[in-house]
Amino acid sequence: MSDASIPSSPWGAQPQVSVAKPECEVPTDGTMHVDFVGRRGALFWLALKTGFFTILTLGFYRFWMKTRLRRWYWSAIRPGGHPLEYLGDPIEKLLGFFIAVVILTFYIGIVNLLLMFVSFSVFNSSWVGYLASFAGVIPIWFYARYRARRYVLARTRWRGVRFGLEKGAWGYAGRALLYWTLTIVSLGILWPRMTFLLEKYRTDRTYFGSAKLVQGGRWQMLYRAAVPFLAFLVLLLVTIIWVVFTEPIVENLPSSLDEFMQTDLIFDGKEGPFGIENPARLLLIPICLFGLLFGAIHYRWVAKRIMANYKSAEGVTFASALNGPRITMIYVLGNFIAYIVLVIGMLLLLLLSAVFFGFETLFSEHSGDMNLLSDWPRWAALVLLGAVYLGVFLMWGVLHNTFVTFPIMRHMALTTTLPNTIGISSISQRARDEFAEAEGFAEALDLGAAI
Amino acid sequence: MSGLMPARAHYFDGDAPVGQPVQPEISGDTLELKLEDGSTIRWPLSEIRQISDSAAKTNPMLRWVNDPLARLVLKDAKFLRDMPNLRRRSPPKGRGRLVAWALAAVAAVALQIGLLIPLLADNLAVLIPPEGERVLGEATLGHIRDALDETGLNPLEVCEVSKGKAALERLVTNLSGKRDFRQDVTVSVLDHEMVNAFALPGGFVVIFRGLIDAADGPDEVAAVLAHEIGHVISRDPTRHALRSAGSIGVLGLLFGDFAGGAAVLLLAERLISAQYSQGAETGADTFAYGVLSQAGINPGALGDMFESMRDKHGDSAGVTSHFLSHPTLSERITASRAVIDPDATYEPSMSDEDWAALQNICG
Repeated sequence: MSDASIPSSPWGAQPQVSVAKPECEVPTDGTMHVDFVGRRGALFWLALKTGFFTILTLGFYRFWMKTRLRRWYWSAIRPGGHPLEYLGDPIEKLLGFFIAVVILTFYIGIVNLLLMFVSFSVFNSSWVGYLASFAGVIPIWFYARYRARRYVLARTRWRGVRFGLEKGAWGYAGRALLYWTLTIVSLGILWPRMTFLLEKYRTDRTYFGSAKLVQGGRWQMLYRAAVPFLAFLVLLLVTIIWVVFTEPIVENLPSSLDEFMQTDLIFDGKEGPFGIENPARLLLIPICLFGLLFGAIHYRWVAKRIMANYKSAEGVTFASALNGPRITMIYVLGNFIAYIVLVIGMLLLLLLSAVFFGFETLFSEHSGDMNLLSDWPRWAALVLLGAVYLGVFLMWGVLHNTFVTFPIMRHMALTTTLPNTIGISSISQRARDEFAEAEGFAEALDLGAAI
Repeated sequence: MSGLMPARAHYFDGDAPVGQPVQPEISGDTLELKLEDGSTIRWPLSEIRQISDSAAKTNPMLRWVNDPLARLVLKDAKFLRDMPNLRRRSPPKGRGRLVAWALAAVAAVALQIGLLIPLLADNLAVLIPPEGERVLGEATLGHIRDALDETGLNPLEVCEVSKGKAALERLVTNLSGKRDFRQDVTVSVLDHEMVNAFALPGGFVVIFRGLIDAADGPDEVAAVLAHEIGHVISRDPTRHALRSAGSIGVLGLLFGDFAGGAAVLLLAERLISAQYSQGAETGADTFAYGVLSQAGINPGALGDMFESMRDKHGDSAGVTSHFLSHPTLSERITASRAVIDPDATYEPSMSDEDWAALQNICG
């Protein structure tokens, strides 16, 4: 037992992204702080290198890529100065992927085919089929997310002790469907209830060693996080009423003949009945829309902060000082950078395709009416375009890691503390959670997200 | 020497999340860790591994291969020099299981795409009511017109010069004869130089302008038309569309999100260069011979069309026309010649005037 450092415990329940979150130590007042030691440049190269291998191997290296990125992130997060350790095994993930493919292939292949059949025979439309096949995947989607989280927690250790998440993926999927339905029916008013209850379901099943985490608090407390969103929503509604109803921006229906007669006289750019009134007001609409986006992101992260402050285990408490506006700006700017590159890459791709189409047209003109285009140039063009396409997505992924995941994790780590860590000394190891299919379902359904 | 000095390492025993300060010492080929309770942990230097992909070089974390849980966090990296196998990988475990599941996954996908989906599609295709098939065909035709457009603005033009359309109508009516599939078939010409024709669900038959330009006479166009109508009558396109709906989903599963758009491209490509089974092709050929003979048109025209295209393009034309890439093309040419009745007198399928009109259907 160390007299120099008071041990800390991590908190299991993290953001959807599936990052385990810990805290750190400062011996003086007993509060443990969380360090974050990684550098952005190192992560950039790791993401670029592993992403490149992934493309070279037609995607199969992605299991190694994810594992290595997680090991890196986990080792950067150091509650009480000691890193988290990620012990996921790429081979285990690959195996899980195969298992999921074996199971899902029958579901997706046969079910899609039957749905398309019913859709065309009964409804005479393809949309019913698309919708039904999408809807059919939703429960599996939630199921897969919970399973993936269970796997990640089971393969995360801190100070040699494992995290864990109890079984309960179908229970999670059922609740998620129910809460989503209630949220939609209530026009979003019950959204915080969904956020809170789903997080509580996960947190209350999360363990660090023998210690069980508990999510306290009430769901109503999350409305605080939604204040910016609601403010911009009200502003947007007011703007719409103002611009469309109370003082229409375009007065196209003169209310009287007199007014109509005045039109030409007054139409000197100021307040004519046919003129556009105060067009500057329209600027409020994009501002409000941007504000809504800001509000939504703000809600997502601040809700995490509020809930983190109400998480505890026996003798262990958590405190988060996460800065809502700051993390929202990180998120927006980081995604902006990543998407700008994606857009530029896509434009480049379009340009290249146009060049190849140009060649094709030229060629068929030279040869009269016949299309003599042989397979070879088309094949080469497709390979080149494919390479550019994959390269663009590689860069997008790398930049997303570098400018979104990295700074958000760093901010979350550095703003998290454990004011009370007395309970840690009574925690002991938990049994290994054998997990045949690992994150296979999430992987097969593309739920992997960034890491 | 421990005790008074600040700890140069923390040992985690893999049970409690509490670090025990230790002073590591190297004695021979062993790392010795004296714990506070007086016991000593001994790790052979050659069996110590370092946890990889760490975000920082400080405080390296070590493990011993024979203890899956215990960890040692060093504050002093100098000890690492004496550990020769820090980066050695663990011996593989569970590879047999992995191979088994990999094979199972491949088998499952192959079974799906090669057997189950075609079987189901073949049986369901005949059950779809005509209205449903038409909706499917219209939707697919729309996708194909969008996909083939080179300007990126409008879907590919359908050629609709009225004289040409009327000539085409007369040809289809002539071919239909007593079989009376006239109502079931909608023929359209797309303004594209590709030498190709294909059938879609719901009785849509599409001919590219390139094919009319490449034909040596109206009979060859009539022969291709009869062949495609053969596919329509036996509902091959509907089967194909249902198969695609099933197998595209399965293929999408295999490739991660890094190539999400690829499946869509694959779908478009598959629909255009629809490769039916050899049986379906032979069936459509046989149907075409019957229709042509009945209408008094030389059934050898189908073989002529194949042959002239093969001569002009060689055997490698591949994707430009699915007729050409078929491995049994020569057999099909021979088969077509064999159907010619030496005693019969064949009429041209269209008048010269109609043929000229058809050639100008795109204006």
